[in-house]
Amino acid sequence: MKLKKVLAVTLAAAMTLSLAACGGAEETAPAAPAVEETPADSTETDTTEPAAEEEAPAADEAAAGVPSYSQVNVGEDYTNLTATIKWLHHKTDRAEDGTIDQMIADFNAVYPNITVEAEAITDYAEDALLRLSTGDWGDIMFIPAVDKSELQNYFMPIDTLENLSNEINFANIWEFGGQSYGVPYMANAQGVLYNKAVFEKAGITTLPKTPDEFIAALQAIKDNTDAIPLYTNYAAGWTMGAWDAYIGVVSNGDATYMNQKFVHTAEPFKDPGDGTGIYNLYKILFDAVEKGLIEDDYTTTDWEGCKGMINRGEIGTMVLGSWAYAQMVEAGDHGEDIGYMPFPMSVGGTQYALAGGDYSYGINVNSSDENKTAAMVFIKWMTEESGWCFNEGGYTVQKGGQNPDMYAAFDGATIMSDEPALAGEETFLNDMNAESELSFNAGGNTKVQSIVEAAATGSQSYDDIMQNWTMVWNAAQEELGIEVNN
Amino acid sequence: MASEMMTGKTQKRSLGQWAASRDGQKVFVMIAFMIIPLLLLFVFTYLPFAEMFGFSFYNMKYIGARKFVGLKNYVKVFQRDDCFGALKLSLYYMAGSVVQLALSLYLATILSFKVTGGNLFKGFMFFPFLINGIAIGFIFKFFYTRGFVFDTVLQWCGFELENLPYWLKDQSINNISLVGTSVWRYFGQNMVLFIGAIMSVDAELYEAAMLDGANRFQQFRYIILPGIKTIITLNVILSITGSLSAFEPPYVITSGANGTGTYFVIMHEIAHTQQKVGLASAMAIVLLMIIFAATILQKLFFKYVFKGAEDEDLNASVKRDKKLAKLAARKAGR
Repeated sequence: MKLKKVLAVTLAAAMTLSLAACGGAEETAPAAPAVEETPADSTETDTTEPAAEEEAPAADEAAAGVPSYSQVNVGEDYTNLTATIKWLHHKTDRAEDGTIDQMIADFNAVYPNITVEAEAITDYAEDALLRLSTGDWGDIMFIPAVDKSELQNYFMPIDTLENLSNEINFANIWEFGGQSYGVPYMANAQGVLYNKAVFEKAGITTLPKTPDEFIAALQAIKDNTDAIPLYTNYAAGWTMGAWDAYIGVVSNGDATYMNQKFVHTAEPFKDPGDGTGIYNLYKILFDAVEKGLIEDDYTTTDWEGCKGMINRGEIGTMVLGSWAYAQMVEAGDHGEDIGYMPFPMSVGGTQYALAGGDYSYGINVNSSDENKTAAMVFIKWMTEESGWCFNEGGYTVQKGGQNPDMYAAFDGATIMSDEPALAGEETFLNDMNAESELSFNAGGNTKVQSIVEAAATGSQSYDDIMQNWTMVWNAAQEELGIEVNN
Repeated sequence: MASEMMTGKTQKRSLGQWAASRDGQKVFVMIAFMIIPLLLLFVFTYLPFAEMFGFSFYNMKYIGARKFVGLKNYVKVFQRDDCFGALKLSLYYMAGSVVQLALSLYLATILSFKVTGGNLFKGFMFFPFLINGIAIGFIFKFFYTRGFVFDTVLQWCGFELENLPYWLKDQSINNISLVGTSVWRYFGQNMVLFIGAIMSVDAELYEAAMLDGANRFQQFRYIILPGIKTIITLNVILSITGSLSAFEPPYVITSGANGTGTYFVIMHEIAHTQQKVGLASAMAIVLLMIIFAATILQKLFFKYVFKGAEDEDLNASVKRDKKLAKLAARKAGR
């Protein structure tokens, strides 16, 4: 009896307490950051402005304020600054092979008093968000999937978009209200990986430029070689989501499409009839599966194994970003066979390639001024001096930087990056992605996998899938009250 | 008399005296011991649960503003095809758990009699339970890969590779393949639990039954089965709730693709990819309710099944109560 009473009392206490906790959280959570943080931000930018006019003589006295990205001269300013900064990143492979440590050592040769503690996180996309919400995570992190309107609550502005655009490419990835909050560590161009030896053996002399030519090339690989024409990497999931990267610039040559027009389009998944657009992009995958031009059993594909397979010439093509190139080259003895070509889709006779930033460095808005300054110096040094981007086979982030040889096939193609969303519409794409659950370029692997399933089992026609997508897309537009243009 | 004086004394004591006394100390010690586990339970179980319950009424992401939407999330759970469609997959896992329990009960009964190398078999069959669930996922991913382990073994048995299905690709059997891994993993553990329960049955009963001419099956039916009904009930409840919340095999082996996404996998997708935290919380609450309902139904079911045994007890107690009542009435009447 006694025990029961005690239990009842504790339970009751637990319930009232937790109720109180709920009530409290709900009142404070949304209000606090919006009201308190913005004035803090504006004062910060104010203090940096006069420093700029003085032509940065404050090199040795960091307390004068935090410099913006364009104000730092790498190798000259702040060489005496003493600080310990912590950096969260996702490159576990580069942490293991010592690349990161080597770069930090090189950095310390110029800035001996800035200690950089790097922490590599597996499963970065999820863990980083959790760390971010705790507030106490360090000074630099690669910005995870945050709504742009939330940026100012967690990160300090790196520079104005205008100034940063003069320094680096892709300055607009994390732009909000005219301020840029992130600098990409490397950039990717979106094309298709292929094996040159397999193409030669199959008798393909010119690289395919349209979906029809691409399917014909895959058929030639199937007929003339033992290689798998197109390896889907279905089982890994995220490798299927990689197809989303081509829905903007690549499929319609319009840099404003992805972030501005897409959310307002009434029927984005309609067939434009000229072999372009989102419809014809995923149709390549559907047709390839239907014609048996992919691996035999797609449910048991092996991501680690596919690297060696394409290297040995057992795979013809894989649809992945340029970041994968270096890994495929390193995976075996035939690295010279790996090639990278623009996506086989031509808009008005021109092939377009999308280049965009990868994960971006962001600086904690709550760090001390010394740490913010040291972080800014570190970021700029990493971008300009470390050579990391080039070594990873990335498209150059620094304006006018050198590009690796692998982009030779892109000479005829027009390289563009997506324009940022219009002011006031920054969150639209994220909202639409979440509401429609299609999650373009945001982990929407399931929808691409279901295309493969439908094509393989014949459970759904391609047009039905596209109609479904249009339906959920329109429903989401209605739910969110987003204006629809025809 | 003595005891009355004692209680009289204690009532007069002040709070400080009470705290210093043996009774007071006893209460303090009890509280001191209890507070730690209760606090842990509260902080790590009830508090997060209450928070989640709160989340289920909001339209929210992990960070950013929340919007109160009332019961809208719950309505969505019932309207969406994928949420409840996923529960149909649980039928596969439930069917699997029936097979699993039958198999483990059968093996447990055999192994609880004298069998050559019995302990060795017990060890072999319990072993899969000791392997980490994620590792099992990876083992079976390769096990089911076309032309790998499973196909090779079947080819030894005379099957042609062309006639074999694609174990994970073919949507009519891929869920059965996944259920197979879960049966393989858990039947050993069930078996060990059953053996433990069977051991506690008095061995003299078998001897007596044998003298009466009962065969092995009759011994099982009339001695073992009633003897271990509690543990059977427990195992059934555990495996039914387990099959409602199946997660590891589909998540690791197929990542929920190709029609293998169970309720948990869908919930994970909604919470982490789509970041609809409110909806996912509502799904969790709905699942909890379903599990409650399933557990209560099972309780009633077993009460009905084992009614024969319990009826006697019930009648006996009713009779006893009646007799006592009569006795009391007689006394009062006197």
